[in-house]
Amino acid sequence: MLSAPALTNTAVLVNEFGKVGLDHHLLRGANEKTVLLENGCLCCTTREDLVGVLLELLDEEGRGGIPTLDRVVVETTGLADPAPILFTVFAHPVLQHHYRVDLVISTIDTVNGQMHLDLNPESNKQVAAADVLVLTKTDIAEAGAPDALRMRFRGINPSARIVEAPFGEVDPDELLSTAVHWYPIEYRNSAYSGSANGSTPVPDTFVVGGRTGDESARHTSQTHSTSLTFDGPVDWAAFGIWFSMLLYARGEDVLRVKGLLDVGEAGPVLLNGVQHVVHPPGHLEEWPDEDRKTRVVFITRGIRSEELLASLEAFRPLVGAGPRLLAANAPV
Amino acid sequence: MCVLCGEFVSQIHWTERHIEDRASVSEARGDYHRFRRRDRFHRTKVANEVLRHYGLQVRDWSGGKYILRDKKGRSELVQDLGSLWPAARRLASRPLDPLDPALHAALREEAWCDGASTNGG
Repeated sequence: MLSAPALTNTAVLVNEFGKVGLDHHLLRGANEKTVLLENGCLCCTTREDLVGVLLELLDEEGRGGIPTLDRVVVETTGLADPAPILFTVFAHPVLQHHYRVDLVISTIDTVNGQMHLDLNPESNKQVAAADVLVLTKTDIAEAGAPDALRMRFRGINPSARIVEAPFGEVDPDELLSTAVHWYPIEYRNSAYSGSANGSTPVPDTFVVGGRTGDESARHTSQTHSTSLTFDGPVDWAAFGIWFSMLLYARGEDVLRVKGLLDVGEAGPVLLNGVQHVVHPPGHLEEWPDEDRKTRVVFITRGIRSEELLASLEAFRPLVGAGPRLLAANAPV
Repeated sequence: MCVLCGEFVSQIHWTERHIEDRASVSEARGDYHRFRRRDRFHRTKVANEVLRHYGLQVRDWSGGKYILRDKKGRSELVQDLGSLWPAARRLASRPLDPLDPALHAALREEAWCDGASTNGG
């Protein structure tokens, strides 16, 4: 993939530099070196090695030593938490003005993926944090395994885009496209689209994803995905206070929050958070499509959809609107 | 600011980015400052609706930071409202959790009282 024309001006940072065996002028080694803030949380750590390499790349680009970069791809170790990488870019006084985090991509071995998700909570965190999920080894997996994993992913992270990579091959443009889905595809054409008599319909809530049988219930019950909207525009200041309070109280269990918020302006606010680390919210000038209602996905560990709804309902007088459930991965 | 530990990490809190982003838009400086003051006033008012249930109050401090106080006269200076929670936890001496049903009940009761007084009850 590195040799594809689409990645000519892409720098790649790998952990095991010597083992890659590639001659790519924008290949760099970055040995994970973290700096933990005193009394800090794990996701708010700084990857010092990453700071060094990213600053070096800026310097080389400025001096003309390398062409203008289009993107940087950072490889992490197997069960690494992506939150520190996001934090490193958002928090550094120089990096935050020169780099933007576009995508978190997680790869899953289709042959052993179910087992990893069953045995490793970190795997579930990676799925939750991902914008793109890549199913590898689909060429040797059992028939039906990719579809079963897709179903399970939908139960954890309904907003992630899923790509298959048989024989380790994937279209770079498809992989790196930032045209992400901001809300579950399943209900885009549901009853929520409107009614014949012009009244605002009550959307059907339904369960997405998950596996069948007691075993799936046991594992997926720990990870909850809640897609919701509001019955009107929300007060951004009030929502920010609620959300920052939630992240303080339960941030390690709020694996991912992603969506578009109607704040009563011409365009929505883009909300994107991975545990305690929140992307600088973007205020769009217009909505990406004709659906101008809030849609936000919460992927949580141990926090049920009912708890989120009850909290937002209690904050209704401050937020200015009440929550409405669109979909959840467990009956509410 | 790390929302969990309160460590200063040299960045504008995400809840206030839109204010700073507006500073880069070409408009009269007077308009920007008025917008900023209105936003801070509103933000403080909303925060106090929550903090009062923990016996706390926050006020704007010199237009740049905020001062958080409890009823015993203790206070702490905080960088921004998005990161006031660690300080609030210390002053309140109990967990602050928006998922707490007790907080929901308090907010509902307050909303009911506000409604009753508005309707002359």
